[in-house]
Amino acid sequence: MGPNTNPRKRKAVTREAPPPASDSGEELADGLLDGILSHSEDSSDEDQDDNDDEGDYDSEASSVIEGLSDEDEEGDDESGFESEDEEQDIREQLRKLKTSDSSSHHHDTNMDFENGGEEGLEEQDDSLKPNYTVTTDANGNPRYLYKEIDPVYDSDDSAADVSNTIGNIDLSYYDEYPHIGYDINGKKIMRPAKGEALDALLDSIDIPKGWTGLTDPTTGKPLNLSAEELDVLKRLTRNEVLEDGYDPYPEMVHYFSGVKEIMPLSAAPEPKRRFVPSKHEAKRVMKIVKAIREGRIQPYKPLEEREEEDEQIHYDVWADEKPRPEKNMHIAAPKLPPPGYEASYHPPPEYLPDKEEEAAWLEQDEEDRERDFLPRNHEALRKVPGYENFVKERFERSLDLYLAPRVRRNKLNIDPESLLPKLPNPEDLKPFPTTCAAIFRGQEGRVRSVTFDPLGIYVASGGDDGYVRIWELLTGRQVWNVKLSDEEAVDSVKWRPDKDTSILAAAAGESVYMIIPFTILSPDIEQASRDILDAGWGYAASKPSTNTNGETKEPPGKWARPGTRIEAKGVLVQVTVRSTVKTINWHRKGDYFATVSPRGQSTAVAIHTLSKHLTQLPFRRLKGIAQTAQFHPSKAIFFVATKNSIRSYDLAKQELVKILQPGAKWISSIDVHPGGDNLLVGTYDKRLLWHDLDLSTKPYKTLRFHTAAIRAVRYHQGGLPLFADASDDGSMQIFHGKVVGDMMENATIVPLKVLKGHKVKSRLGVMDVDWHPREPWCVSAGADGTSRLWC
Amino acid sequence: MARIKKKGTSGAAKNYITRTRAVKKLQISLPDFRRLCIFKGIYPREPRKKKKVTKGSTANTTFYYTKDIQYLLHEPLLAKFREHKAVSKKIARALGRGEAGDAARLEKNLVPKLKLDHIIKERYPTFIDALRDLDDALSMLFLFANLPSSEHVPAKTISLCQKLCHEFEHYVIVSHSLRKSFLSIKGIYYQATIQGQDILWLVPYRFVQRTGGDIDFRIMGTFIEFYTTLLGFVNYRLYTSVGLVYPPKFNAKMDEHGAELSAFQVEGKSVLANGDSTADDETPAVANPEAQAIADKLAALPETEEDDAAPAPVQPNEDDEANEEIDKFEVTAPDADVLPQPQASNAEIASLFAPFTFYIARETPRAPLEFILKSFGCKRIGWDGALGEGAYTTNESDPSITHQIVDRLPLSETSEASATAGDAAAPKAQWPRSTMPGRTYVQPQWVWDCINQSKLLRPDLYAPGAELPPHLSPWVKPKKGEYDPNLPLQEQEAEGEAAAFEEEEDEEEDVSDVEVAGDGNDVDDALLDRDSSVEAGEGMDVDGSEDDDDSDESDEAPAGDEFDGFDSDAESDISDGEAARLQHQRELEAEATGKTLEPEVETTKSKNAAIRKKADKKRKEEEEERARQKMMLSNKKRKLLKRIEYGTNKRDTEAEALRRKRRKLEKAKSAANAI
Repeated sequence: MGPNTNPRKRKAVTREAPPPASDSGEELADGLLDGILSHSEDSSDEDQDDNDDEGDYDSEASSVIEGLSDEDEEGDDESGFESEDEEQDIREQLRKLKTSDSSSHHHDTNMDFENGGEEGLEEQDDSLKPNYTVTTDANGNPRYLYKEIDPVYDSDDSAADVSNTIGNIDLSYYDEYPHIGYDINGKKIMRPAKGEALDALLDSIDIPKGWTGLTDPTTGKPLNLSAEELDVLKRLTRNEVLEDGYDPYPEMVHYFSGVKEIMPLSAAPEPKRRFVPSKHEAKRVMKIVKAIREGRIQPYKPLEEREEEDEQIHYDVWADEKPRPEKNMHIAAPKLPPPGYEASYHPPPEYLPDKEEEAAWLEQDEEDRERDFLPRNHEALRKVPGYENFVKERFERSLDLYLAPRVRRNKLNIDPESLLPKLPNPEDLKPFPTTCAAIFRGQEGRVRSVTFDPLGIYVASGGDDGYVRIWELLTGRQVWNVKLSDEEAVDSVKWRPDKDTSILAAAAGESVYMIIPFTILSPDIEQASRDILDAGWGYAASKPSTNTNGETKEPPGKWARPGTRIEAKGVLVQVTVRSTVKTINWHRKGDYFATVSPRGQSTAVAIHTLSKHLTQLPFRRLKGIAQTAQFHPSKAIFFVATKNSIRSYDLAKQELVKILQPGAKWISSIDVHPGGDNLLVGTYDKRLLWHDLDLSTKPYKTLRFHTAAIRAVRYHQGGLPLFADASDDGSMQIFHGKVVGDMMENATIVPLKVLKGHKVKSRLGVMDVDWHPREPWCVSAGADGTSRLWC
Repeated sequence: MARIKKKGTSGAAKNYITRTRAVKKLQISLPDFRRLCIFKGIYPREPRKKKKVTKGSTANTTFYYTKDIQYLLHEPLLAKFREHKAVSKKIARALGRGEAGDAARLEKNLVPKLKLDHIIKERYPTFIDALRDLDDALSMLFLFANLPSSEHVPAKTISLCQKLCHEFEHYVIVSHSLRKSFLSIKGIYYQATIQGQDILWLVPYRFVQRTGGDIDFRIMGTFIEFYTTLLGFVNYRLYTSVGLVYPPKFNAKMDEHGAELSAFQVEGKSVLANGDSTADDETPAVANPEAQAIADKLAALPETEEDDAAPAPVQPNEDDEANEEIDKFEVTAPDADVLPQPQASNAEIASLFAPFTFYIARETPRAPLEFILKSFGCKRIGWDGALGEGAYTTNESDPSITHQIVDRLPLSETSEASATAGDAAAPKAQWPRSTMPGRTYVQPQWVWDCINQSKLLRPDLYAPGAELPPHLSPWVKPKKGEYDPNLPLQEQEAEGEAAAFEEEEDEEEDVSDVEVAGDGNDVDDALLDRDSSVEAGEGMDVDGSEDDDDSDESDEAPAGDEFDGFDSDAESDISDGEAARLQHQRELEAEATGKTLEPEVETTKSKNAAIRKKADKKRKEEEEERARQKMMLSNKKRKLLKRIEYGTNKRDTEAEALRRKRRKLEKAKSAANAI
């Protein structure tokens, strides 16, 4: 620390030579300049101040508490610019005010010279006095007794200077309070008395000297400035030199001039090295010379020569070539295909686009175009213009080269024929229906259902017009009809499967009618049929009600005579159930038949006994909407198809046997194979499913060849391996479906024929299909109001 | 128990890296990354399991192989890029301070020069690999050789490209490796076979190229930088492999006068070795073309001229080629198999134009003609002085010229008469005012067609002003089911197709448009027909139910609308019967009236109908069978079949359309001839 090094000396100087009034000295000006330039560094004057201050310090400590501001210090600093004597005066005042401007680095000094400072005024060598006294201890050894360190000095920190501890807070916050802050001890610093209002008035009348009207924010006292201070401020605002007499451009003193002095600066003799050549340098030069001679150092070459070296130097890069390792992920960029005929400047005329093609090409988006150019014909080479997209195409190719991901794709090199399965020749699978042999016309509205009679002579059909009609198969002639209902369509017709009798069941609305078309029957068959129908009446009469409780429970089906009008035509029995019957299916023996009415929830499926005129509801509750139901051809098993599953029940044991899950969304119809082990399911979601009952609950084959819903499926019941489906797309498909007796072999299914002919009316095509009992013929019911015989 | 493996730490997730991550990993800018990728030939990949790589995100991203990028980390070019970046910072700073001199000095001395030698070696481990990848390089370089210099493309680059291209052309000429060439509307395609590799490149016609639009010349420039290095090395290897000195001597003065190919002097190694002893060997070589030109003007005998004209350029293979001819393997026993043999030997084709002297007229493209003629053995090619220096002769009336390639119409008689008057004034330009006796005048296409068929064609077909035969691409190999313009129509059309066409034409002519829709259907059926079988039945009995050609599902809509109550089979049968009945009826009527006019009218029509009917029946049967088979296909196979059939169907429809067009054209032509 600068001032510390020799404080005594300085102090002595100060003391000995108090600054005289001779203010013309240039050094003084320098000093002032110093002050301006390096404000932070204390001038020597201030050091002196500090050292001088110390004497009075303790005695006036209380006034320190009174509160001093930085502003004061600033003011003091500014006062330093004034002339020497004035400065002295102000210092005097400051001492009285106890404005200590000692900054932190002075405290060391203070510490060292604490005592000395006190005595410093009296004697000069006080600092030599040790701060300990030597006494003798109990053993008689010398003992150093150090003086107590006065803790007062701790308070003599820079913080002590800030008498008000509120920090950098606007005093206006304290306006309401009697105090203006807190001192170091937490005591309130009271607001200095402002005097009476009269005093203030007086003050305002005769303005004290240096009155500024400002209030010192830290002390709360009015801030007065002396005339000198005001002068300085004035000069500062005018950008003038702060002092009168200060010369900003003093004459330059040439300390080092061109004039040669007579006497040398130094009396030392001239050294030898000044006039003897350096050996060391000679050595180094020789080294370089040698290097140049040996060519180790090349002379400087002009840079232009380097330009020519840029030229590629070619050599055989592939001098020792090794092929790329086998397993490399690298895919070489595919080459562009060579141009075809159409790219020629003079192509064959058939390659030139006609007007439509040209317009289509121009209209297409650039990216969709199959070719990026339009073939053009030029009669001679001289007429060929430049290709305007040449650069663009090259650019796009280069983009492809580095931007396009490369994928190795295996080209499909499969003969399409090899994919197609080898099917048995349809000639070998004959007979099956191929052509339309007869069309049964005459119905109004859709034909909903068709059925062959057990002998295969007649075909019965029922449709939207409410008529049941019977046609002769071979001639296509309508031989019999009856109108069952005026408003309701005949949804289903089914012959009773018995060759000795001829009973037709037809469903219209909620009723099922038993019909004996006696006009076309031989008398003995008619009699046999009538006997079967009439047998039930007696049974019903003898056992009027099978109810255990005797009464009030409405029977599920009412057996009655339909009325004389249609009874005369041969409609002999009417069975009425609770909701519209959609399908009828006979048991193989003909004594039972099942009806399904999808609307009636618990009464959806009903089994009727013809001989007893009895209707039973086998299911108390059915899961899902029942679609159709069928008897097993040989066992006492009953299949019920709901919307998307098929359940089979054992009627004898009265239990569920199996649930089939065809995976269809909506089953339309089912048919059981005459063998009883296979089941055909047609669905409204265009699928035809073949279930092998022994195999799984899932379909064995799923066939999807129709574009519209499948309405009906039917196996040939007469021993031919055929089945057919009827679809809303207006077509029927005939399949060969052979079921082998042993369990080891799966059924073979071969598509045979698509029969087309029915027209699609309001999105309905073929409604029903039935097979001839013996022949490979089938009959279909179309929504176009016709039935067709296919053979 | 083994630790549970964390997801995304191995396999596809690790093997691929997105571009952003790659750039970050390499710590370079995107343009630098782009350049690096172009130089190193690194391209993005399509991960097979994209979902695993993207970790479920569906954003469109570019993926690179992680290993590729890892590999790039050690690339010396990367260091160069970084150096370059540092220098460019310095330069930018100097420029910011306004120290242009400093900036220039820095740019001159410190900017690192990229050397791509190691990359060439790395990307193409063998020379064959490099040749295989030369297509794009050559096309690009030939394009740049024809571009004007601009701010993006410095003149230096262009001259370098020109130089390399000419050098390559010289090699092709010397080694006779040009095989095919094709004048397309885009430019001229050339194919050379070098060391068993087919190299196909495209040279634009010499017009100002349109360089507008969003073409980034920085990318192209990067490619050019790589390709010039590549072609330089390839040229070196090619030249040295045939014993030539690389680089060939380049005469800048001649080049300035548009000599192009002739500005290069290809020298054999042996010549150079001899020339080393005599230092003045170089001077005659350089002076040679000029001396030759002077000599040509003196119109000396060409044979003797030629002998002393070309002593320096040496074709080293010339002597060997005679022995390299392929021997014909004759089968001695009849039961042996016959192996296919290459037909014409290299040497034979190479000397296709050797005995001739060509003169290239002013209006024809000199550069491609010169290149092609030279590479097929022609040594004496003269051209008009306006086309540049380096010609064998610039005198059109040189008697040694055997062929003159012209592309201007001959003048008519009257103008010829007037031309004779001015003949004295301009004796040099003969064509089209007069012809030299014994000289063949052909259009440029003759040259191309000759080399593509590797034989000399009849020049009269290509006479000036004649209608040229179509110029066909030599690369199209006739495939089964595709249209081939070389064959007559009858050979390739499907059975009954012509009949269908005839009928359709007839209907178009005379039948009022009763069944236009039906006709359309008919035609479509015929077009879609794939198994060389054709439509049958009369033109009128169109049934829409035949439309279900390709899919297994029959379509329902048009099925019933046109006829009522019959299925397709029954209907056709019935209509068959009806047709027969009608025919019979007509016959009876004719008999009654005693006229025999009817069969005469019927002949073509009924014959056509009969043919068509037969073909149609066959086709329908086949189609039905096919549909039946398709029904039993599994879903997967059916889709596969559909894909395959898509291609064949497309090909067939294209071929069919072309055949139809040709038939129409032929018909129009015959009609015109008849008139």
